[in-house]
Amino acid sequence: MNRHLLLATALLLLVATASATGIPGDADGNRVLDRSEYTAAVLTYLVGEGDLTRTDIQDAAWVYARWDGRPLEITDSSGQTLTLSRPLRRVVTFTGESLETLRSIGFDMEKVVAVDKYSHEKSTFFPECGGKANVGSIWSPDMERVLTLRPDAVFLYATISTTACDEIQQKLEASSPGIRVLRFDCFKPATYPEEIRTIAAATGCEDRGDEFISFYKSVMDGIRAGTADIPDDEKTRVYFEYWTDYKTFASGSGYNEKLEIAGGYNPFAGESAEYPEIDPEAVIVSNPEVVVKLTGQKLAAGGYVGHDIAALEATRSAILKRPGWTRLDAVADDRVYVIHSDILGGAQHFIGTAYLAKWFYPDRFADLDPNAIHQRYLTEFQGLDFDLASEGAFVYP
Amino acid sequence: MMRFPANRLFCLALLLMVIPVAACGTPVTRSLSTAEPGAGEIFIVSLSIEGITLGGVVETLPDGYTFAGTEHPDDRVLVRGQKIAFAVMNDTSITYSVKAPASGSGDITGEWEDFIAESHGQVAASHVAVDGIEAPGVGNPSTTEVQAGSPYTALIAVAGLLLVAYRGDRR
Repeated sequence: MNRHLLLATALLLLVATASATGIPGDADGNRVLDRSEYTAAVLTYLVGEGDLTRTDIQDAAWVYARWDGRPLEITDSSGQTLTLSRPLRRVVTFTGESLETLRSIGFDMEKVVAVDKYSHEKSTFFPECGGKANVGSIWSPDMERVLTLRPDAVFLYATISTTACDEIQQKLEASSPGIRVLRFDCFKPATYPEEIRTIAAATGCEDRGDEFISFYKSVMDGIRAGTADIPDDEKTRVYFEYWTDYKTFASGSGYNEKLEIAGGYNPFAGESAEYPEIDPEAVIVSNPEVVVKLTGQKLAAGGYVGHDIAALEATRSAILKRPGWTRLDAVADDRVYVIHSDILGGAQHFIGTAYLAKWFYPDRFADLDPNAIHQRYLTEFQGLDFDLASEGAFVYP
Repeated sequence: MMRFPANRLFCLALLLMVIPVAACGTPVTRSLSTAEPGAGEIFIVSLSIEGITLGGVVETLPDGYTFAGTEHPDDRVLVRGQKIAFAVMNDTSITYSVKAPASGSGDITGEWEDFIAESHGQVAASHVAVDGIEAPGVGNPSTTEVQAGSPYTALIAVAGLLLVAYRGDRR
C-alpha cells in the first residue's frame, strides 16, 4: 500500500472515529448518560427513528449498566489514564501476554481482530488466532493493516521495548484519535494482579477477572508465605542460566523477581547489567546448590510444541558435561533442572515460579503441585483441551 | 438390516433443524385478554419478559386497532402510528391496552431486543378479530415472516415431517 492510500485510510478513520467518540445517546454531551437519555435513545431506535444503530444502543446499555452511565477511566501500567466511552469491540494485541490475559478473564476472543506475529504462529496455544489478522511485531509492525482493521483498542507493552511501543502508539493516535492504546506487561509478579483487574474492568470481565486473580494469588502468595521466614544466609543458592550459555540475570530483571519470590539467592544479582554474561569460572566459584537452565528460545523444542522431553533432557546432559561442573553441589546432589520459558517468562510465570519453589525447597513445598496448577490454568482459564500427561514439555527432570 | 430411505433421512435432518427452534422459546411472550374483542372494546395485551436486564420491545398493532394506554412508566413508552415501543429495564411484564375497531382482524406482532446479551428476535404473532369475524385485507403485512419463527409453526412443521416420514416408510 502506498503512502497516499495510507493517508486516505487515515482520513477515513478520522471521520469514522470522530463520530464514534463519546457515549452513544448522551444527548446533551455532558459525558453522562442518564436514565432519560438512555431510554429516549432506546425508544427512538425501537421505532426506527434517530441515527443510532443497534450496536450504538448496545454500547449505551453497556455504559449505563456497567459504568453507571459514565465513561470509564483506567490507568494502565505505563501510567497513562485513558477514558473509555464504549466497550471494546475490536481489539488488536501486539503482546502475547495481554492476549493470554484477555483469554484468562473470559474476554470474547471474537472481538480480538488481530494479533502479533508470534501469537499468530502459536497454533497450539492460540488455536483461535490462526484465522485472525497478523499485525507483525512491535519491532516491525504492519501499521497499515492495523489501521484498516479499525480497532478501538490496541494492547502494547508498558515497561519493555518502550521505544518501539511508544512509536506505535504515537502513529496510532496521530492517525486515529478515537483509538485507545493500552499498555500492560502481564508478566511481572509485582504488577500482574492489578493489571488483570484493570483489563477486566476495561472489558467488563470483572467476575472472571476476580476468579483468575484469586487463582493466581493463591499460587504466588502461597509461595511467598512458604519462603518468608527463610533468613537470607539460608536461602538456596541458585545459578539460573538464560537461553544463551553463561548468560544470567541480575536484580531488576523479571526472572530475578521470580527467583527471589521462590526463595532463591542469586549470587549474580549485583551485576551491573540486567542480563550479564558470567565467567564460567565464576559459576564454579559460586558453587550453586541448584542450577536452572532456561530453554525455549524462538519456538525451539519443548513448551507447547510437541511432547519433546528428549530435547530438554539433552539440554541438561550438555550442561552436566561442562568442565569443572562435577564439583558443583547442584550436580553432586542431582539438582540441575531445565525449564521452558513458556511457563516462566510470560503470563504463566506463576507456574514456573511454583516449579522453582519446589526445586529450591522440596520439603517446604511438598504439597505444591505445579503440574496440577498448570493443568488447571490451561483447562479452566485458557479453555484449552491440552493434556499435560501426553502433550507439551516444560520441565526436566 | 434395517433400511433407511433417503426421504426419511432428509426428514430427520429437517427435524433436527426445526426442533431447537421449537424448544428454545423466546424471552418475550404475549397473551391477550381476548382474541375476539367486541367492536370498540378495549382489551389487555400482556407481555411476559424473562431475563432481559436492559432491552426493548416494539409491538405493531393491526390497522384500525389503537393503543389505549399502559401502566408502564411514561418515559419508557413511545407510540408511533401502529408501533408501540417499550424500554425494558429489568421488567418481567408489561401490560398495555388496545382499542378494537368497529371491525377487522389481523396480527399483533412484536420484536424484542436484549441489549446486554446482544440478542434480538421476534415475539410470536397474536391474531385478533373483532367479534371473531375475519376481515380480509385488514392485517399485518409481516404476518408470514413472524409466524415462520413461532414455536407453533415449528410444531406444525414437525408433525408434517413425521407424516411424510411415516408415509414414505409405508411405500
